[in-house]
Amino acid sequence: MTARPLPYGDPAHQAAHQFLVEEAALLDAADYSGWLDLLCEDIRYLMPVRVTTARGAGFDSLADMGHFDEDMYALRKRVQRLATDHAWTEDPPSRTRHFVTNVRTFRNEAGAPAELLVESAVLLFRSRGDTRAADLVSAGRADVLRETGAGLRLARREITVDEAVLRTQNLAVFL
Amino acid sequence: MGFADSQLEAVLADVRRGMIPAHVYGDPQIFALERDRLFARSWVFLAHESEIPDRGDYVVRRVLADSFIVARDESGAVRVMFNMCLHRGMQVCRAEMGNASHFRCPYHAWTYRNDGSLTGLPFHAEAYGGEDGFPREGQSLLPAPALGIHNGLIFISLDPGAPPLREYLGDFAFYLDFYTRQSPAGIELRGPQRWRVKANWKIGAENFAGDSYHTPHTHASVVDIGLFREPKASKRKEGALYVAGPGAGTTYKLPPGGDFAGQLRYVGYPQEMIPAMAASWSAGQRALIADSGFMVSAATLFPNLSLVHNWPQIDERGTVAPFISLRQWQPVSERETEVLSWFAVDAAAPEDFKRDSYKAYLMCFGSSGMFEQDDVENWVSITEMAAGSMARRLKLNSRMGLTSAGQPIKPPLATFAGPGVAYQGFGEFNQRHWLRQWSDHLEDPR
Repeated sequence: MTARPLPYGDPAHQAAHQFLVEEAALLDAADYSGWLDLLCEDIRYLMPVRVTTARGAGFDSLADMGHFDEDMYALRKRVQRLATDHAWTEDPPSRTRHFVTNVRTFRNEAGAPAELLVESAVLLFRSRGDTRAADLVSAGRADVLRETGAGLRLARREITVDEAVLRTQNLAVFL
Repeated sequence: MGFADSQLEAVLADVRRGMIPAHVYGDPQIFALERDRLFARSWVFLAHESEIPDRGDYVVRRVLADSFIVARDESGAVRVMFNMCLHRGMQVCRAEMGNASHFRCPYHAWTYRNDGSLTGLPFHAEAYGGEDGFPREGQSLLPAPALGIHNGLIFISLDPGAPPLREYLGDFAFYLDFYTRQSPAGIELRGPQRWRVKANWKIGAENFAGDSYHTPHTHASVVDIGLFREPKASKRKEGALYVAGPGAGTTYKLPPGGDFAGQLRYVGYPQEMIPAMAASWSAGQRALIADSGFMVSAATLFPNLSLVHNWPQIDERGTVAPFISLRQWQPVSERETEVLSWFAVDAAAPEDFKRDSYKAYLMCFGSSGMFEQDDVENWVSITEMAAGSMARRLKLNSRMGLTSAGQPIKPPLATFAGPGVAYQGFGEFNQRHWLRQWSDHLEDPR
């Protein structure tokens, strides 16, 4: 990204940062229907597969394969599933903490004026049961936040996970 | 190896009568035998030709701890080479994919062509006295001891005396075509997604081979949310289970009365793909769908390649889209497995079908898939339980479908169009078939 991020004192940056922190609180509380309310109906939620390539290869993720590549229908189904009595992988639930940091906010010069580009880092701590070692998932995120009448909403998220081989048993959690 | 022959004999005898000593899912001594007697001999899947379409393309894949470069050389041939430098043993290629005419070892710059042949050796004259001290001619990265390709699927065996791949596949090749040859163009693979689970590798392989019995309960949630047009997960019991050659799999019963094209449309294939399927498959393969009325679903080719085919609804309008996944249970240890999960689609399919099928895959299987999430939770839990002392006193009953005298509780299907033996309804015929092959390998000290 060539543009300079907004100063930390800029109200737009502060609103974006607060959005991400509030979103993380919903995820850690497993309030997934509340989380869906933060998403635009045309959301694209994407997490490409990272790969190990030579420095000169020119790519380090797969263009045509993700861990997630979701629209609103797919995300709603995932959330509906977690709300059933039969989503065993999250019953008992994981204890999660989304640590969100390194937030930078950019005006979307090329795109819609009501949209902000927001980069952040997320570290997910996930603990299951009482005998298993906890999992960590580290990732960068590039978000598009759209100003709506109801406040900021997430229109697009691209998650750049920092491992080629995930060390968590599944992605029954969101990043 | 600290594991008496008599102990092993007892374990295998139990396994063969369908009573599995639970510790085999978490036992380091069993794992050592699997490494030495199974993975050192069996045909193991590495990659698909569509992953390396152009000259110089490569991927790096493993058979347990052994790393191999799978490359398309300058003549267009597929080469599989042990990824260890002939000189000091450095891993020659440390990327997992890319395109290269040569691989240069980072340690002392010994350089190999993408067919494995040694071409560069710095200071050859000064250091070795030239060809006399080290003849370069004919030197090459160690090739895989045996290489076989079927429908673009690249397999190797660490046993140079392995039977030819096609011979090994036997009657399972009939079923493999449903997943990997829907048209003369074959499939293209995307991925793999890779993740590590704290589960023994055998559990996933057995599950995909034939565990239709787990679907109604383990996967109740995906039925609850209406991901499938069919309202009841118990529909699974109408499917047939088949055993054929080194493989075994599950099917779903199709609605009555459909013809070949109608049944394929029912599971979501667009009309424009169906003539190629009809041309690509034999009369027997077409009859499995049209006359027997079964559609393939999950399957496992022994030892650790599984396949799956299913057809969820991918949007609010109820569009049904089928998908195919290939997946490998790559053992890391007796209690950890790396899962490699590919999305596969007919290379000649229309782009909008590929898009829909990819969406169907992501929702159901792979690292985030709603089926796979609950499967892995079960398998991790089994592996934890299998590691202790009490698991050595427990034999898991894997005799479903058999009477106490060891006879099937009902006869095999008489009119099943595919080769091998098929039973309708629930049973653990397929898992026992998988475990018999496992036992045969483990008891052979060769």
